[in-house]
Amino acid sequence: MANDLMSIIKKRRSVRDYEPKKVSKELLMELIEAAIWAPTGSNIQPWYYIIVKNEGVLEKIKAFSPGLLGDPVNLIVVCTDRKRAFERASILGRDELCLMDISMAAQNIMLLATEKGLGTCAVRSFNKNAVSKILKLPEHISPDLIVSVGYFNKTINTPKRRSVKEVSFFDRWEGGEQ
Amino acid sequence: MDRKDFVKILTYIVTSARGCVEEPKIYGPFRLMDTASKMYYMLKDNGLIDDEEIEKIINNIDEKKFSCMTDEQEFISMMDEIIEDLVVVMEQDKE
Repeated sequence: MANDLMSIIKKRRSVRDYEPKKVSKELLMELIEAAIWAPTGSNIQPWYYIIVKNEGVLEKIKAFSPGLLGDPVNLIVVCTDRKRAFERASILGRDELCLMDISMAAQNIMLLATEKGLGTCAVRSFNKNAVSKILKLPEHISPDLIVSVGYFNKTINTPKRRSVKEVSFFDRWEGGEQ
Repeated sequence: MDRKDFVKILTYIVTSARGCVEEPKIYGPFRLMDTASKMYYMLKDNGLIDDEEIEKIINNIDEKKFSCMTDEQEFISMMDEIIEDLVVVMEQDKE
């Protein structure tokens, strides 16, 4: 399959069955490099990325993360800095923009990972309080998304997508030009 | 099965229960099915069970459990199927 952007977007799947092979530190750092170039409201960059590779930490995080499936051995915990977001963009920054920012950053991670032949899965089914404690995060740093990253060799079914026609309108809600 | 194993599964179950308060409704059944699989492999890894018939049932769960995110009806059918298989297992045990 070609590796143009649209192909990579379509190729990305949520992987829930990983091989027990570690991803190199260099490759993980490349993924973070992609993350920091995501759009960010008011250029706040309210993000931190905790790369989890240590077996002990990994096991603890997994225990408190029912959504982390398929035994991933590499995790990126995407955190927001709520204090920074509030100071720079008030309530909107703290409650909304920072979450949008890290979502776009996570997508960058997942697309580059796909291009590199890695699987990923964005997970929010974890206990934030427990993960904060395990990672010893300061109070204003919130773990909001975990991206599992790893090698995989199974084919993953492509779930049905709602069509472009169904989900898009021109100019106004329904009734506009299709 | 030691304390570490027990704490692991206990943590998974309790964290799942807490998560289910806010998560999509279908995640409740999913977590239970996932727990069934985790428990089987925990017992197997500790040499407490090794049963071809039950493992077949567990494999069926593992193969189809993710359908809860893409095809809810398939997921529900899988659970019905598993229950029927378990009836057979229970009947055998009775004899």
